Amino acid sequence: MDSTIAILAILDGLSYAALVFLVSVGLSLIFGVLRVVNVAHGSLYAYGAYMAATISLLVAPISPWLTFPALLIAALIIGVFVGGLLETFLLRPVYGREEVLQLLITFAVFMIMDNLQRLIWGVQPIFAAEPVRLLPNVSLLGVTYTSYQVILLPLVALGTLIGLRYFLRHTLSGAVILAVTEDREAATAIGINARNVFLITFIIGATLAALGGALASPTTSLVPGMGTDMIVLSFAVAATAGLGQIEGAAVTALMIGLARAFVIYIQPELEVLVPYLIMVIVLLVRPMGLFGVNKVRKI
Amino acid sequence: MLSFDKVNVTIAGVHVLRQLSFTIAHGATCALIGHNGAGKTTTVRTIMGFTEMTGGLTFNAENLAKVPPHLRPGLGIGYAPEDRRLFSAFTVEENVLLPARVGKLSAAETARRLERAYMVMPELKELAPRPAGSVSGGQGKMVALGRALMLGTKFVILDEPFQGLAPVLAQRYAEALRRLRAHDPDIAILITESNPKLLEAFADTTLTIERGEILSTKKRDGASHIMAAPAASHTGDRT
Repeated sequence: MDSTIAILAILDGLSYAALVFLVSVGLSLIFGVLRVVNVAHGSLYAYGAYMAATISLLVAPISPWLTFPALLIAALIIGVFVGGLLETFLLRPVYGREEVLQLLITFAVFMIMDNLQRLIWGVQPIFAAEPVRLLPNVSLLGVTYTSYQVILLPLVALGTLIGLRYFLRHTLSGAVILAVTEDREAATAIGINARNVFLITFIIGATLAALGGALASPTTSLVPGMGTDMIVLSFAVAATAGLGQIEGAAVTALMIGLARAFVIYIQPELEVLVPYLIMVIVLLVRPMGLFGVNKVRKI
Repeated sequence: MLSFDKVNVTIAGVHVLRQLSFTIAHGATCALIGHNGAGKTTTVRTIMGFTEMTGGLTFNAENLAKVPPHLRPGLGIGYAPEDRRLFSAFTVEENVLLPARVGKLSAAETARRLERAYMVMPELKELAPRPAGSVSGGQGKMVALGRALMLGTKFVILDEPFQGLAPVLAQRYAEALRRLRAHDPDIAILITESNPKLLEAFADTTLTIERGEILSTKKRDGASHIMAAPAASHTGDRT
């Protein structure tokens, strides 16, 4: 492998890892607090992407620079409204019930949202690459890449990681989330409304998934099924890191993103296999994941 | 102050509390005595709103059944669960202060309550900066009491506080309760325990519960609010 290919693989992996991290950290956060494996998380990613493309195409004629805030607005719309509705009306009634029931409900939501997505946006690919075009390309050792993908996306992921850490460790809302994560009943006994915490956490997690989709939208054509690929991959990242591990999700996303990118250049037919191979190997050796701990949950 | 009136609780088809009726008055120190599985913890969890119940449950004439669990601490009820249940992500002091932050107490009120907790348990000051996950089982019980005191301005519930405490720690815990009683003669204290002898000297009212029913209510004549330390604990400090 020559150095140009290696640099390309690193940049590809970095860019992809940033998106995977945003989605998987949302999945991990929701699991850490609600103990629900949200299969519909991939749909939130896809809706974020489609919503971002829709708004971007609407505002681009006014000013192409408006497509940047459009990405954030799209993520917030999907995260707050769709995420909020899902938690309130579908998950809330089944808290405390069998985990398989919660899993089935989120799976049903995923199927419904997937079909609704086809109804709303159709099945033809949608392109809305304005934000990528607006930012200049960068050159690294002779390799030219879009700064949107190798600078903006990793910066957003890093900012999210730092922001999430700060939020959880240094704010009252974060402390309340950590308390509910560790012991819902003990948290309630000191006056914490666990239901509100569940809702807020789900909205944050859903918004992160939608943000991942929104940020991905300028870099790819939007097609039905994009949510499926992402939920499976982000689940692999979250499980490899250890469900509920935020920092672990960042490291694992980077690891899997880079491994996948290198495999694409070396042995492309193994692209799909590699993330799950890593997951299986890790879980066989450490069933709680690379950064997971037994019993004590963390987020 | 607190009144159970024919309260029934069924968990997974099993009647855990049956027609439970008793009252606890202002300033009372009440011991709820019973074997494992008698319904002690279910009783206190019912007060905190963690069970589905039927019957009447009032606190200061307020129907507790209509108060959501997370609003009950705001009525002045502090609860120290049997197994401590500290938040290991925080330090001891953060654990103690979290109820005040959640309840949005003023700085002055928070300081007043913290001072009270430190007065009751001076050991807490030394433990304050330590991660809650690193304290021993006995120390954890102290921290759980401190946390409960930040909310328990009217009523403090201690679920099996002496369970698993080494004698020396049980002695300290009892001294802490004595200081609490002397400092706050008007608050009610409910302590559950499986060893009937352990709380004999503490309580002015002893309720004996068996299979979810109150078997007997014994009031100590000329009940004093002065409590003596237990001679010894029934088990060693496990952690």
